[in-house]
Amino acid sequence: MNPLDEKWMRLTEAARHVEDNRDTAAPYGFATRVAALGLAPERVATSLLERFSLRALGLAALLAVVCFAADYSTVVGFFRGETTNTDDPVAEVVDLAS
Amino acid sequence: MPEDESFDLAGCLDLVRQRDQAAARALVDHLYPLVIRIVRAHLPRRVAEEDLAQDIFLKMFTRLEQYQGAVPFPHWVSRIAVTTCIDQLRAQKRRPEFRWADLSENEADVLDAVMTNENDVEVGDALAARELVHKLLDQLKPDDRLVIQLLDLEQKTIAEITALTGWNQSLVKVRAFRARRKLQKLFHELEKKDQR
Repeated sequence: MNPLDEKWMRLTEAARHVEDNRDTAAPYGFATRVAALGLAPERVATSLLERFSLRALGLAALLAVVCFAADYSTVVGFFRGETTNTDDPVAEVVDLAS
Repeated sequence: MPEDESFDLAGCLDLVRQRDQAAARALVDHLYPLVIRIVRAHLPRRVAEEDLAQDIFLKMFTRLEQYQGAVPFPHWVSRIAVTTCIDQLRAQKRRPEFRWADLSENEADVLDAVMTNENDVEVGDALAARELVHKLLDQLKPDDRLVIQLLDLEQKTIAEITALTGWNQSLVKVRAFRARRKLQKLFHELEKKDQR
């Protein structure tokens, strides 16, 4: 055996002589508390917000993507500086003013 | 294993599965000595033993439906206890540095006796020896520490450790080898400091 291993073994052998005489019975009230917690009914009904917020977020993201895809040419045209051909009177007034 | 042989474990488990509070209390009382011994042997620093024991029992209740009876119920609970302790040890990322100066007088004497090989460690110094062993074990990675503690302090076999931890035999051997190498390194460092 490696001499250092031997030292470790001597040390652990000495350590094993310590007897643990501490009480191993459950403290008063421990079993009652743990049993109550352990068998507590699972939370079935979650709040409406909890239930729908993630789905709503997903739906909103999907709608945004659909809108972008549907109006893709307009968005791209806007960034290229193309004027939009529209019958919108407000747009025409803004165009005249510029 | 729990001491009370007359305890009807199978009947108690059936009642607990039917959400019987009294049976659940009896089960906790019955298994507490087993669980607390494991907790005390592997208790991480700054963690209250009762809190850890409570976590273990709550896990036991949560997973009770998964228990198929392939192993005796106390073994199944022991495994939950050991894995919960190891999770707690892993959560403590920082390990305290081992310094000769931090040792108590008794611990330094014990270490000296071990290093010089001249005297056997006296039985009266067993407590100091245990403290010293735990300080050295604190320097190991949690998984390695668990293996070496089960092997050398609790004198369990590789097969028993495999059953307790769920690790395969090769992994247990590798971890034991790694732990011993690290301990050798620590002893080398201590020897060098001792010679200065």
